[in-house]
Amino acid sequence: MSKISVSVHKFSSCDGCQLAFLNLGKDLLSLPEFIEIRHFAEAGPIDIESSVDIAFVEGSISTPDDLQRIKKIRENSNYLITIGACATSGGIQALRNLADTKSWIANIYAKPEYINSLDSSTAISDHAKVDFELWGCPINSQQLLSAIRSLLFGVAPLKDSSKVCMECKRRNIVCLMVTKGVPCMGPVTQAGCAALCPSFGRDCYACYGPGENANTTALANRFAGLGLMPEEIAQRFLFINNNAGSFKQEGLRWKAQSITKSK
Amino acid sequence: MPNKTIKINVPVLARVEGEGALDLEIINDQITDLKLRIYEPPRFFEQFLLERSYQDVPDMVARICGICPVAYQMSAVHAIESIFQVKITPWIRAMRRVMYCGEWLQSHSLHIHMLAAPDFLGFNSILEMSKEYSHEVSRGLALQTLGNDLISLFGGRSVHPVGVRTGGFFHAPSQKTVDAIRKRLEEAQYETEELVRWTASLDLPDDQQQFTSVSLRHPDEYPLNEGRIVSDAIQGPGLDLDISEYDKHFVEQHIPHSTALHSLLDGKPYLVGPLARLNLNSDKLPAYVQSIMESSGIQFPSNNMFHSIVARAIEVNYVVSEALQLLNQYKKPDSPYVECKPKSGIGFGCTEAPRGLLWHQYEMDSQGKVKKARIVPPTSQNQARIEQDLRQSLITLGLNQKEQTLRLHAEKVIRNYDPCISCATHFLRLDIKHYQEKEEIINPNNAQQNNAVPRIKIIGVGSHHGNDKLGFETLQLLKDDKQLANYTNVNYVSITSPGTQLMDALKETDYAIIIDAIAAHDEPGKLIKLEASQITAFKPALSSHGLGVIEAIKLGLALKQIPHNIVLIGLNTDGNSDWTYTETQLQRLVNAVRQLIIR
Repeated sequence: MSKISVSVHKFSSCDGCQLAFLNLGKDLLSLPEFIEIRHFAEAGPIDIESSVDIAFVEGSISTPDDLQRIKKIRENSNYLITIGACATSGGIQALRNLADTKSWIANIYAKPEYINSLDSSTAISDHAKVDFELWGCPINSQQLLSAIRSLLFGVAPLKDSSKVCMECKRRNIVCLMVTKGVPCMGPVTQAGCAALCPSFGRDCYACYGPGENANTTALANRFAGLGLMPEEIAQRFLFINNNAGSFKQEGLRWKAQSITKSK
Repeated sequence: MPNKTIKINVPVLARVEGEGALDLEIINDQITDLKLRIYEPPRFFEQFLLERSYQDVPDMVARICGICPVAYQMSAVHAIESIFQVKITPWIRAMRRVMYCGEWLQSHSLHIHMLAAPDFLGFNSILEMSKEYSHEVSRGLALQTLGNDLISLFGGRSVHPVGVRTGGFFHAPSQKTVDAIRKRLEEAQYETEELVRWTASLDLPDDQQQFTSVSLRHPDEYPLNEGRIVSDAIQGPGLDLDISEYDKHFVEQHIPHSTALHSLLDGKPYLVGPLARLNLNSDKLPAYVQSIMESSGIQFPSNNMFHSIVARAIEVNYVVSEALQLLNQYKKPDSPYVECKPKSGIGFGCTEAPRGLLWHQYEMDSQGKVKKARIVPPTSQNQARIEQDLRQSLITLGLNQKEQTLRLHAEKVIRNYDPCISCATHFLRLDIKHYQEKEEIINPNNAQQNNAVPRIKIIGVGSHHGNDKLGFETLQLLKDDKQLANYTNVNYVSITSPGTQLMDALKETDYAIIIDAIAAHDEPGKLIKLEASQITAFKPALSSHGLGVIEAIKLGLALKQIPHNIVLIGLNTDGNSDWTYTETQLQRLVNAVRQLIIR
């Protein structure tokens, strides 16, 4: 097993997924036995243009500069792995895609002409080929280590395409939606968090993104049955992973209804 | 005396959270330009909070910052609870304090060991440092892990925890898990004492400056979640404000080089964060922590920003003992939250994030939907102060130092503040440029030793159109210069294609000055000068034309076909076709080239 070279790049994000490395605790010190970190600004090493085996990318594409940078990173890496919701689906800041960004900038900044920002926040895969995706807001260290381990052994990282519901069953957590009428996103959300929110007695809010073949429409109708207004249903889907395909579609459908009704 | 211009340029600032840059220009031992630029693209949180339910707010604002999500959640829930007139229980108040202690513990431990200490011990990263300082590094990582686990106790995970709600917590941990963490806190106490002594023993520069500290202050305790906003009376009367009065004294300004808004207190920069807190509140520390503080040998209040790392360590010592004391009385409550009923109104939340004061304001409607949100993160409050500090600190260091020395010092100063640039709610890449007009770099001395008179070639690149005519115009003005007419060793060449034409033009000469419009990431019209080694490192912005010149020079140098004494000089066009250079800017360029020739 030879060492693999790694870079960690940041785009528009909260830095939280890079912490999956920095929060490894004592394990962080054993990382250099397996990987060579060539670029990871927050941790210290800087070599933006270094060629690497794996480039981990955090954050979404939201400025004209980002477009150039991600192309370079792709050219310089064998595998490109997105870490977290921002890089994988555009993140919470993709909510701007549904709005008039120029008026937002005008609302916040006295001198909008100084702000250089695209109208959208988009996933890395919209701009470059992505080999593997690690979903989650944030991802956890186990996801990261498991992906690195797999690649060290020359196999593709495993993807768990089951839903949060399955994790609740495995952990013997009583269903919140059935027993308490809580509008839980678990039935359409990818597993990976070990049903963290339901284990705390609260609704899942889908920070791990849509699961495979998520039946978003059936769940949205159930939410309506629980008494949620169309705007509230739309907001359930248009949250952390608002720009992910099936969530966006479902969310916009209900958003449109809420606008019609209010008129 | 010749003009000496120093410009420093580092594309990415290491060991800070987020992306920022520093522009520094020194002419004749005077700082002529100093800007801490914040590049982190704006994420518009204050906008997309609108029309959201109060229930979504703690989960949304956590996403502003992966390093201090608890701070964002705490400021938000306090603001909302004040609007809904919710009274939380003593248990909730105490456990929020424990969770916040966890965030200070992990954030401070991360900063001290991963971001700051390598500066003072001469390493680039914690991984390098860990070989020689394995005990200290292991201790630091263990403390960071303990902090993360304290957050997870109430939040399920340390980054974007899921346990906080308006009115309290979703979940109360079992006695067993609390007991396990209490044991670890007890064991960590001695380690945090060691940590204070270790940070105080580091070779910290002595850099006394006058600045105003601002923090919360509470009558009974060291401030975390509650208090009044106070300042010391260093640059004016000391403040003592209710958090709702923040706006009366603090003003946010939008400045061109930053996506963060600059905050000023009565028109002046001020400091928030661990050193400011300790300067204003050391009397509120328990006697045990005060004795540790005194044993560090460093006097607080302190006017030396480099004491921030010690202040952080003292706070680490404090939060471990505070969390332990609070958890010693832990009893699982009947309910971890109180019920909330939405009410309309305006409310404020202000808490002490690891990096300082974090102020939130919300307006809610009667359904509990956000109508207005304003968030002022600590780093935007510190930004003006960082610039002020850099100016003074670099002057104290001496502006005639080597590029590397100036740069490292500037980075250390910036890291003292532990800037958290991701907090670009409405908010760093560090671009330090260092172009030094040293005679030996650009004066063809070597050539002179070999040949009596060096062959100098002045090459104008461009066309007769738009900003591209800059090269030709400058060349013409130089040819017309009477004094320069005496220099018979100088050849003037104009070329239209930067590729092979340029390569040919550069052959058979000892010293070449290439004049062109340059597309750099800088202010349009700025005079830019690059010598050979800088040209190879230069990354042009947009101009395809500029790229050609740089590529040709790189190729020529690599093939050893052109002289190493090359200067590329020009005005920055920013790749912007709407902008044209002024007469004064052109004249400045002509003068700069004249000086190079005469020397």
